[in-house]
Amino acid sequence: MIRSQKFWICVCAAVFALSLIWCAAVLLAPHGDSVRISQDGRVLYTLDLSKEKDRRIEVEYQGRKNIIEIKDGRIRMLEADCPDHVCIHTGWLSSDIPIVCLPNRLVIEFAGSDLDAAVG
Amino acid sequence: MKLKKLAVLALLTAASLILFVIELNFPTLAPVPGIKLGLANIITVYAVYSFTAGETAMVLAVRILLGALIAGEPFTLIFSFSGGLLCLAGMLLLRKVIDKKHIWVCSVLGAVLHNVGQLTAAFFVMNTSAVLAYAPFLLAAGCLAGALTGFAAQFVISRLKGRIDI
Repeated sequence: MIRSQKFWICVCAAVFALSLIWCAAVLLAPHGDSVRISQDGRVLYTLDLSKEKDRRIEVEYQGRKNIIEIKDGRIRMLEADCPDHVCIHTGWLSSDIPIVCLPNRLVIEFAGSDLDAAVG
Repeated sequence: MKLKKLAVLALLTAASLILFVIELNFPTLAPVPGIKLGLANIITVYAVYSFTAGETAMVLAVRILLGALIAGEPFTLIFSFSGGLLCLAGMLLLRKVIDKKHIWVCSVLGAVLHNVGQLTAAFFVMNTSAVLAYAPFLLAAGCLAGALTGFAAQFVISRLKGRIDI
């Protein structure tokens, strides 16, 4: 079986199909309003977006700075002085895909529904 | 003979660096970090099917090191290395069971392993499982990009057949 080319083509197709289903699951997963901002594995803030006023949060890491913006109950990375700016291109946090700034070890993500169930 | 091989390997490394630099100038394809075509992998896949394991590893390692220097982003080195080495190890095993007519299959599985390596590194560097939400997007894009670079490498091998004697 391991020598059959068809077997390996099927493995490729299976990985691709599973990853597409997994993509849909991540995009469609329900999320609450509770957002967690953490750096290097430490939680810096846990916010409830539905109750937050519009404001900006500055986070520093080894002399580098990130500015997080909260506006109209949404959250995004406004500025970052890292080289790639992937976190800024991610835009507003809208699904289980977190906003990640790798160079500054910063993660903004929905905190999961357990907390929301308890609060709401 | 040995000098000739050295020259060919150096040429391959240079070619993969050129592909890497060209790709640096592409705009970001998706809001998920790590999603890219991986054009330089064409050379790695070509080398896997044309040279020994050690020679291929040298070409890859030099490309990753010099590539990080050129890109000026040394912090990505750990992701390139963990992804690149896992991908290489997997493809070197797979070349024993996947023939030259199905190189793209080997390339797809190599790309998937590359993503697994990157995600594992990101998991430990970031100290959070949040990066796992990226996994499906990286894997799906990796399959497509892997098939593309695999076909490219397959063309290179069939075109160069008999033209380089090493």
